[in-house]
Amino acid sequence: MLSRKATIALLASGMFAYAAHAQQQGVTANEILLGEVEPLTGPPALLGIAYNVGTKVAIAEANAAGGVDGRKLRLLTDDDGYVPTRTIQSVRKMIEVDKIFAFTSLSGSGQGLAVLPIVEKAGIPAMPAIGPVTGLYTPPRKSVFVVGQSYEEGMYQLVRHLATSFPGKKWGILTQDDDYGVALRTGFARAQQEFKLNVVSEGEYKKGQQDFSSEMLRVRSAGAEVFMAGGVIGENVAMVKELEKLGSKPVVGMFWPGRVTATLKLMGPASDGIYAVDYVDPDNSATIAAFTERAKKLVSEAEVKAMNRYTLAAYASTKVLIEAMRRCGKNLTWACTITELEKTKNFESGVMGPISFGPGVRFSSQAVRIMKADFATLSFKPVQ
Amino acid sequence: MRSGHFKERTEQLIVLSDSAPVWAWSAVLVVALAAAPYLLNAYLLSFVVLILITATGALGLHLLTGRTGLISLGHVGFLLLGAYAYAVPVAKYGLSPFVGFALAGTAPALVSVLVGIPSLRLKGLYLAITTLAFSFIIAHLVLQMSWLTNGARGIQVPRPEMFGISFDSDIRFAQLCLFVATITLFGVLNIERSRVGRALMAVRDNDIAARTMGINLQAYKLRAFMTSAFVSGIAGALFGIYLSFVTVEGFPFLMSIEALAILIVGGLGSTLGVVFGSIFIVLLPEVGRTALSLLGENAAKLFSTGANELRSVLYGVAIILFLRFEPRGLVGLWGDRKRLWVNWPLRF
Repeated sequence: MLSRKATIALLASGMFAYAAHAQQQGVTANEILLGEVEPLTGPPALLGIAYNVGTKVAIAEANAAGGVDGRKLRLLTDDDGYVPTRTIQSVRKMIEVDKIFAFTSLSGSGQGLAVLPIVEKAGIPAMPAIGPVTGLYTPPRKSVFVVGQSYEEGMYQLVRHLATSFPGKKWGILTQDDDYGVALRTGFARAQQEFKLNVVSEGEYKKGQQDFSSEMLRVRSAGAEVFMAGGVIGENVAMVKELEKLGSKPVVGMFWPGRVTATLKLMGPASDGIYAVDYVDPDNSATIAAFTERAKKLVSEAEVKAMNRYTLAAYASTKVLIEAMRRCGKNLTWACTITELEKTKNFESGVMGPISFGPGVRFSSQAVRIMKADFATLSFKPVQ
Repeated sequence: MRSGHFKERTEQLIVLSDSAPVWAWSAVLVVALAAAPYLLNAYLLSFVVLILITATGALGLHLLTGRTGLISLGHVGFLLLGAYAYAVPVAKYGLSPFVGFALAGTAPALVSVLVGIPSLRLKGLYLAITTLAFSFIIAHLVLQMSWLTNGARGIQVPRPEMFGISFDSDIRFAQLCLFVATITLFGVLNIERSRVGRALMAVRDNDIAARTMGINLQAYKLRAFMTSAFVSGIAGALFGIYLSFVTVEGFPFLMSIEALAILIVGGLGSTLGVVFGSIFIVLLPEVGRTALSLLGENAAKLFSTGANELRSVLYGVAIILFLRFEPRGLVGLWGDRKRLWVNWPLRF
């Protein structure tokens, strides 16, 4: 016979365990529900759809390997069209109505920042990896983990490489008038100061601008020999095509949002030799070839065609989350997942460098690589 | 049940409502809205909050476009200005939210004079383009004045604490929005039944005739602009708090179009129509989502993964249908139902 104290303790612990289990949303005996919000329509869909494919591949792989402690993973996806109010609505719906276990995306940088208070208040694990903007991880939020590299650091590394490769040249830069543009300008300014760059043309354009004829005319008139195209995709294409039309051939550098095959296709032969920077592996690497082969077996043909660098970012980020959940085993709670994510050390996703977090460290700060466009193969090849 | 509606005194004409059932139902609505935060989950509550903020902003535009007949395509500029006028002093300089809300109203009101002055000579499309240009100028200035506004990086806005009450929780914030929306609604209704409101209507219906009657066009048009901007600025501040992050990107030009859509769908010139229109426009996507989910999982998925485009299509279809079949808007439909109820079994 158990003593009265032991009985009470047993009952209390049982009730506590039940309460803890009952409180944990998104987890049933045979399923774990994940959710992601991203732009799936409109111009930013190019990155949102690709990102969604990456998450799907990571989930399909995990399910094929038996799931997480026998539970299959299921993904809920919501389109926010890159509009912060809709991101807020979707995030609230997923937490309150769909009762998901964790987020694999919180849409872009501005959208992610808008929903941070909601995510932080709920305490739900979130892995926003589309736009790894500083505000997402500084100051660190307990449940938010960001895989990637900052725009500032990426730009600095790209300019550093070009400044070393093409010393004494005249520089030009054109950036967007939003937080993305500010980050690029910050990284550029740091490199400009360090390498004493001779910047002859500097400007900003309004987000959504299509025609860059006057801006590119200014770049050419100023005699810029190295030009940093600070657009996303369409803007970079328009800038390079305009330079081609003007007969100007500066060394062009661009940033990772534009490092997708679609950019090269749209730019045509003028894209050949353009420099880019990224933290995911180059297109022609063995790791990406292996990833593509695996993806072909797990997602549809149309989805494979939609893949780009964002697919890899999503894949790596979701894999880290799944691995943390797996380490929790039967005790799959938000608290355990966050603790295990924090313990992530040199995790190999197979599509980028090792990923690490730590106590108070919510940003993986991936190493970047400089790449060069090869129009013949419609790919970016590493130069260092 | 009353069978006629005869008004014999001026007081009867300008009273908010002389119908006891209207007051009773309004009281029921207020009680329901006050209870809603405690009964709804955070997701559904966010729709209530959005409706309240949208209605507040749309009431601002209603004063200008619906009551005075001055078309504005740049109202998002006032919302943006209000949001920053709140965010800068409160989030950046740590001032009281009272100061923030006061500035959120007065800053757009003062700036509106700059737009209002050209409006004295402009009408229709010309005025619409002027206000549109104004909203672009405001967005550009906000981006350029980064020493004050943080430029494109935006400003994180905390939930306010006023009267010793923290509005950090969704329930409290919903109550704040309800308070502001109710005050605004009564304010607008009171303006409408005052001398000023009747003067604005006269300006809308025929400004030459209004001037002949001794109405100072300049003064009343400027008043309309300032009041409208004040209300919109407050709505902008609430919207910024709701977003928790104020940037130019959070206030796209499309918001001006949505505001006009609310006035058209609700019934141009009607205050009740603004409330109906706000509810309709905010809930339309969610109703669409629910309707599609009844058709099966694939249809529901279609909405989830193509929500942005489907929402735009729904807005467009709704506006076209209302303009074609019910130009009086939702308030017209409401009036028909009310008459049917009051006069039944007679048709009129």
